[in-house]
Amino acid sequence: MTITVNGKKREIQSPGDTPLLYVLRNELDLASPQFGCGLAQCGICSVLLDGKEIRSCITPVSSASGKEVTTVEGLPARWANQKKLSAEEAAKTLHPVQQAWIEEQTPLCGFCQSGMMIKATELLEKHPNPTLTEIKAAFTTSGPSPHLCRCGSYFAIVEAVQLASTLITKGGAA
Amino acid sequence: MTTVYGAELTRRGFLKTGGALVVGFGLVKTEAADGAIPRNSLNASLPESFIEIHADNTILIRTGKCDFGQSSLYTAYQQIVADELDVPFEAITTVVAGDTDRTPDGGGTFDLLGRGVANLRKVAAYTRQAMLELAAQRFQVVAKDQLSVEAGVVSGGGKRVTYGELVKDQNLKLTIPVTGDLTSMFGLVVSGEPPMKPASSYSVIGKSFKNSIIPAKVTAQEPWVTNVKLPGMLHARMVHPATLGSKLVSAGQVDKKRFPNAQVVVKGNLVGVAAPSEWEAIQAAQQVAAATKWSAWKGLPGEANLFRYLRQDADWKSAKVNRSSKSTGDVASTMAAAAKRHSATYQMPYMKHAPIGPTMALADVRPDGTVMIHTHNQNPQALRGQIAEMLGISTDQVVVRTYSGAGHYGRSNGGNAGAEDEAVILSKELGRPVRVQWMRPEDFQWSTQSSAGYADVKIGLDAKGRIAAYEIDHYMPAMQDDRPIGAVLAGLPTMAAPSEEGSRLNSTVNGNSDAWIYEGVLNLEERAHGTWQVGQRESPIAVGLRDHSMRTPGQFQQNFPREVAISEAAALAGSDPIQFRIDHTKDERVKNVLEGLREESGWETRPAPHPKAASTGAAAVRGQGVSVMFRAGSYWACACQIAVTPATGAIAVEKITMVVDPGIVVNPLQLKRQVEGGSMMGISQALYEEVAFDESGVTTQDWLTYPILKMAEIPEIKVVLLHRPEVGTYGQGSEAANALAAPAIAGAFLDATGKAARRLPLRRAYVKELLKA
Repeated sequence: MTITVNGKKREIQSPGDTPLLYVLRNELDLASPQFGCGLAQCGICSVLLDGKEIRSCITPVSSASGKEVTTVEGLPARWANQKKLSAEEAAKTLHPVQQAWIEEQTPLCGFCQSGMMIKATELLEKHPNPTLTEIKAAFTTSGPSPHLCRCGSYFAIVEAVQLASTLITKGGAA
Repeated sequence: MTTVYGAELTRRGFLKTGGALVVGFGLVKTEAADGAIPRNSLNASLPESFIEIHADNTILIRTGKCDFGQSSLYTAYQQIVADELDVPFEAITTVVAGDTDRTPDGGGTFDLLGRGVANLRKVAAYTRQAMLELAAQRFQVVAKDQLSVEAGVVSGGGKRVTYGELVKDQNLKLTIPVTGDLTSMFGLVVSGEPPMKPASSYSVIGKSFKNSIIPAKVTAQEPWVTNVKLPGMLHARMVHPATLGSKLVSAGQVDKKRFPNAQVVVKGNLVGVAAPSEWEAIQAAQQVAAATKWSAWKGLPGEANLFRYLRQDADWKSAKVNRSSKSTGDVASTMAAAAKRHSATYQMPYMKHAPIGPTMALADVRPDGTVMIHTHNQNPQALRGQIAEMLGISTDQVVVRTYSGAGHYGRSNGGNAGAEDEAVILSKELGRPVRVQWMRPEDFQWSTQSSAGYADVKIGLDAKGRIAAYEIDHYMPAMQDDRPIGAVLAGLPTMAAPSEEGSRLNSTVNGNSDAWIYEGVLNLEERAHGTWQVGQRESPIAVGLRDHSMRTPGQFQQNFPREVAISEAAALAGSDPIQFRIDHTKDERVKNVLEGLREESGWETRPAPHPKAASTGAAAVRGQGVSVMFRAGSYWACACQIAVTPATGAIAVEKITMVVDPGIVVNPLQLKRQVEGGSMMGISQALYEEVAFDESGVTTQDWLTYPILKMAEIPEIKVVLLHRPEVGTYGQGSEAANALAAPAIAGAFLDATGKAARRLPLRRAYVKELLKA
């Protein structure tokens, strides 16, 4: 079975019923999606599957066959492709969502933030200028479950999404 | 050798390249009992150091504390050391944290800017003096006070030299005196009195430096504990007992046709399943669990009967009752003579630390008996001591390496987060490195919890509506059980379970939390009563509902009744709840945060309940509430404006304002983020968090049965930081921030509905029940 992960075709050895999360983490050494609940209740294992946020902890790898998976590791390249950046520019450019997460000092423990950034990327690709209500809805009701943060960094996430929106509108420069 | 305020500065030789001053420690005395395994096993001649100053003017600092999402080690600690050393923030290029073989000082990760940073700050002060000594020798001046330092450059008598130049080509060591027990709760303590800089001369402290580990965390570069892999490593899942008192009858066998590479480990009542592939381990553990037989046990009261059990059946007599040192006057006669009286009971449920990722640890027990543990832990030196005790080996055979992980708010401050000892036991049995990852239900059902508790409060008002007498009795089971659960299940040695004879860290005695702040109350009785953990003595395996300190431990349970009762007394007196508090305190800092809160929060000065308060109807009613708290040197005031919909029981917090006087604000941006996060956790605890349990065990198992606050529910938030350098102590938000919302929301509920809310959490069903009463 072959899946495309962060722009590269990868041949998968794991059995097809293996949750995508364990394939990414253990077979492909992509460490950004984390195990939180295994029940699609928290969102910290989120990745983009053909641009849509899904929970890798309950998604069998077979259902990603032939599709494109994006993790946080692939966000800079995803942005560079969308903006058609030169290789030189791409090498030094983070995705605006990542830039904003740093600028706003959003993570506390940070363990949930990979999933939060995936959700933010999905939102901003559809709605580059979301309202506060749309941001809150994206992280609460738009997916299989709310995206949970135990440290309570929600306000810092809202501020980072708003900054990322501004960066994207301006073309992506910090 | 030169003596610098009691520290020893030695030149151990010259080097052809590089050069450094390495600041380590010499033990003055240990507190280990005679005959005990020596616990201070770091060799002071090895290069474990607090601070290293390098020839290129870069500086490395080490602390035994760990980062739990407060950023303090990478911001505030660096700032405090930079100021004490007189170097720029950027000169500190490396922070080494937590690893027991690479850091000194140990101690639990709590009170980060109080006791936590005290060692490093003092070491920096010694080091600054050593640099002055070296400069004085080089300049050949007699008195160090003819020298000045700025940004790592020493000047005097028209000469200048950088710290780097002072150590260039030299092998210098500064040995500073320490006392204490490395693997205890509190670790080593740097002793002596080197001169410290006054707050007025700080230039690095007070600025909003960014957290240097955040870029790694948002670009998937951070080495989280979950990412550590070792050659030959096995993945394991545990099969924990069916109840909190079950013994193993028979362990299931692996179905080798389905799971050819999986194997079962059984030791006492400990059962684990390991396999090279994580998915195989997960599925095999489920299959083995279904085939494993446990004895039945029912020995818990069940959550519906918890408070009846605690009041009627629990033994509060065996543990010494603690009377607060602030108790004063004659409560009995003044209460009897009071014009009006308030009398009520307040109830706090069990809550969970609930890290967003369940506990996970990787252990490697080598053929030579040495042990390496990879984990996310708040007190790695204490864990090292526990693992050595469990295996009957000396502490220097155990190394704990720490990594970033899901924050767990106090669960491991005494050494054990959950999975470490189980990983060690499995690794020893299997002869391979073993990674134990708990699943989500286990993290709710087999971890410790924040203690439940209740308090009886009586307040007597005089004819003018002032508090004449205040009496409060706090009841809470033991809140610090640091026994590693895997060792308990396996029947291996551990520290003793909490008892009336235990030490401070495993005692059933309950303590009074930080000082009472209403010193205008002339007659006060405050007592704390303790008992065993619920089910601890009934459980045949000595488990039951194990408790552990959680963010603002004890004080969360004590401040809720204290502050809700004050709001109710203000209503009884017909007074505004902020002014009522101001009228009963003598502490200028308490008054100051409350006055600040009144200005910043949009507060309406008037008594509660609101003139339009209602307890019925489909329309939302609104109210305001306040709470105040003193913890670890910081003063906190909080106002919540809420909307209650009586027909549904729904509470929405619409605005929260936090005014904090922490003394010195070390890093405004990071403190603001800590306070925001902590106050959201506080709203979550107030509205949702409660552990469900039946007669056999915890029935809470996931985020549906343990709901926490979601983004759509966050209110407008305002954080006001009052910088008070003259106070001289550093403030922080790692604790306290989560304990303000609950009493403020209860006060606002009284204002909105006219009904008192005296039990947490304020979930819809309970609110509807309250409003009907």
